[in-house]
Amino acid sequence: MQFKDTARRLLKEPLVHFLIAGALVFALLSGRAPDLGERRIVVDEKVVGALVGRFYDSFRRLPTKDETDGLIADWVRDQVYYREALALGLDQNDEVVVRRMRRKMETLAVADAETRTPSDAELQAMIDKDPARYAEDPRVTFQQVYLGADTPENRLKAEAELARLRKGEQVSGLPAPIPARMDNAGSNETSGLFGDEFTLNLRRLPVGQWTGPVASGLGLHLVRIERRAAAEPPKLAKVRQRVENDWRAGAGAKARDEAYQRILKGYDVVIELPK
Amino acid sequence: MRKTIATAALLLASTALISGCEKLSQASGSKAEVKNTAYPEQVYWGDTHLHTSNSVDAFGFGTRLDPEAALRFARGEEVEATTGTKAKLARPLDFLVISDHAEGIGATKALYEAPRMLLTDPIALRWYDLMHEGPEGSLKATGEMLAARASGNTPAFMNDKEAAEKRTLKLWSEHMDTVERYNEPGKFTAFMGFEYTLMQTGNNLHRNVIFRDGKDKVSTITPWDPQDSLWPDDLWAKMEAYEKNTGGKVLAIPHNGNVSNGLMWMLTEPNGGPMSADYARRRAAREPVVEITQIKGDSEAHPFMSPNDEFAGYGVAGWEKFNLLGNIATKQGDLPGSYVREALKRGLLIEQRTGVNPYKFGVIGSTDSHTSLSTPDENNFFGKHTGVEPGPKRATAGFVPGVNSGRMNWESLASGYAAVWATSNTREAIFDAMMRREVYATTGPRMVVRVFGGWDFKEADLQGDFVKAGYARGVPMGGELKPGGTGKPSFLISALKDPEDANLDRVQVVKGWVDAAGKAHEKVFDVVWSDMDKRQPVNGKVPAVGDTVDVATATYQNTIGAPTLATVWTDPEFQPGQRAFYYVRVLQIPTPTWMAYDMVKYKLTLPPEIPLKHQERAYTSAIWYNPG
Repeated sequence: MQFKDTARRLLKEPLVHFLIAGALVFALLSGRAPDLGERRIVVDEKVVGALVGRFYDSFRRLPTKDETDGLIADWVRDQVYYREALALGLDQNDEVVVRRMRRKMETLAVADAETRTPSDAELQAMIDKDPARYAEDPRVTFQQVYLGADTPENRLKAEAELARLRKGEQVSGLPAPIPARMDNAGSNETSGLFGDEFTLNLRRLPVGQWTGPVASGLGLHLVRIERRAAAEPPKLAKVRQRVENDWRAGAGAKARDEAYQRILKGYDVVIELPK
Repeated sequence: MRKTIATAALLLASTALISGCEKLSQASGSKAEVKNTAYPEQVYWGDTHLHTSNSVDAFGFGTRLDPEAALRFARGEEVEATTGTKAKLARPLDFLVISDHAEGIGATKALYEAPRMLLTDPIALRWYDLMHEGPEGSLKATGEMLAARASGNTPAFMNDKEAAEKRTLKLWSEHMDTVERYNEPGKFTAFMGFEYTLMQTGNNLHRNVIFRDGKDKVSTITPWDPQDSLWPDDLWAKMEAYEKNTGGKVLAIPHNGNVSNGLMWMLTEPNGGPMSADYARRRAAREPVVEITQIKGDSEAHPFMSPNDEFAGYGVAGWEKFNLLGNIATKQGDLPGSYVREALKRGLLIEQRTGVNPYKFGVIGSTDSHTSLSTPDENNFFGKHTGVEPGPKRATAGFVPGVNSGRMNWESLASGYAAVWATSNTREAIFDAMMRREVYATTGPRMVVRVFGGWDFKEADLQGDFVKAGYARGVPMGGELKPGGTGKPSFLISALKDPEDANLDRVQVVKGWVDAAGKAHEKVFDVVWSDMDKRQPVNGKVPAVGDTVDVATATYQNTIGAPTLATVWTDPEFQPGQRAFYYVRVLQIPTPTWMAYDMVKYKLTLPPEIPLKHQERAYTSAIWYNPG
């Protein structure tokens, strides 16, 4: 808070007093009656404090007297032009101004949402809306026999081999460096080896019997599901971090849209497309 | 009214900081313990090299996606890319390191958001105005920033240490909070890290720095900026001090040797004298892994050193001409110090002389993407930076459109990923796997590759649980074969195609060794390939696998190649007295490049020099044999 003290000190400077007085005198003597708010420019403690503060942020030192003088003069010049420009309507249809104003409004709408902490009820509602997203990975234990690439011949072969497996005979399949049995495998593991389609099939196939052929990214398989652990419903305590991340990521966009919809209600938007 | 709003915004901004900290401590309290498996059962996929809007150049190139967007994208969420298109990975990643440039971290964003009236430096004003003009102006400004950096003329306002320190402290703290929030042990690992952008007049000596630890330890430092360092010694000293002070662990990954003009893997010490054992030991300890492939080209091998390797020229075009910043041409004599295979050979030579191998490193791939989007898939490639995100012009544009970078954007590879054999998906397990080099690289596809070296592996081992046999009777990739066995070393090798991608053409073993005269050699062996009965070697070379790519539709068929390849290979030329390394290279069948997908998507006619098909690949870390 060093620069605040400095700003305060600065405001005791005669030069600053002189400038403030000068601005007032300028306003008074400009020939027109000072239209309060419109034609009166006040360089007060806040303004100088902000100018000095911003200077300090950029240069890590206080401005000299000359520099302060220059900052104030430039600020006054800004204000004068800004007001004149507004009076002339130069802000109208200026894309940069429009964008800047929009961004400011959006920032305000979002700032509140980003600092809020969601309640447990809100987070629980998010889980309830999409429990699969937060559920533990369903685990599956299965055996597989690999038959090679997905070709008509191998599909034919699959039928014969399936019949043998169902009779309890040993079928070794094609030698390949993939596990013949996976124990409690998560979808990440099965997808990494066999692909997503195969993983989805593992969730659907009947338990306890040989079935197939089942296609994977590697080719055809005969599969026997031994066990499938149903995914427990997600508990907030376990997945809080993830849900809160999602809430936070969505909160900004949601607040922005809601704020816009609220404001938009006060407008009558007419879209006339060229015929 | 206006004033009230402004004050309100300020107040809100400061409360955001405070409540952000509270939330973090809540979140980290609910983390569950994750069990490690007895040996690595699963390969985890990740990117160790990704830039976000916090990187000086990435912001300048146009990206507005922050670290949180990068993490959400890697985790599998859909995000909106800076250029407005929806972006999503077909398959999420298991881990991510956001490696923003430490140098001037957040500086471009700060300049962009600065009040214009306070910019007194004419160059600052110029860049500010260019950036506010729009994407083209922004690219131009960034090109000028990089050029200024290359010539050592970075303007003073960008080197304002005090301002930078304050900005960095705030940004780094917020960044660490975000990373902690997304680190979910067992499910998704978010690492703390940054890039140490070490450079000598545009010669690339960059390192990515990765921590095993959380905010409690990593907050003792802010990202290290090389400033006027010329060599990595200063980085190693900082790493050593960090480990000593915190009890934590940190490693560094050098990248893009291909644009280092021979400086990345030198035979000598920085002062020019022969490398000492101490120097070699320090380097090996600090840098266990090297990035072998990424968007800015592939650094595995160069045809100049490997004239007999017909696959050595992958991802070399464009990158072999100049150093990173394109200001110094690369001479032939620079090439050996710029490529990984030669570095592995040099490591043996130095070990022969000093007893220590400085270049005993594993290899990974990563993207080095500057879009916050880790996308090395050819059909979902968001480009090196936001100036070349998907669009009809990027295939024929310069590497940095509108700036003379000396390279064309089509010379960019949609590459690569880091594959890690770890015992769980946690910071600790993945980091430890990197330290023991049990990692490999791919140019994007997720092939599952295993290799074990031992003395008694037989074909029959492949029938049973070969992984168990491999760990019980051998060493995995990254390991060292100790003498003691009789006969010749044998290697248990298996490769599965990426289940969502193309079939495999062949598996090769690349051997390097030092002969009795102290000379280094290399040889590539084809060890197993598809349709071996039909593809008999001719003059020692296995014939090409064929080509099913239809360029007109950017498609290929898996009617050639093999879904899996496995073998036990014994080195027929083994000499017990010769130190050697062996690494595995797996080649896919030909597939379309990202330019081919662009051509179809945007209905383009592309000039003939633009390659439309290629063979993607995996490189494993080596297994070393040391005669002792």
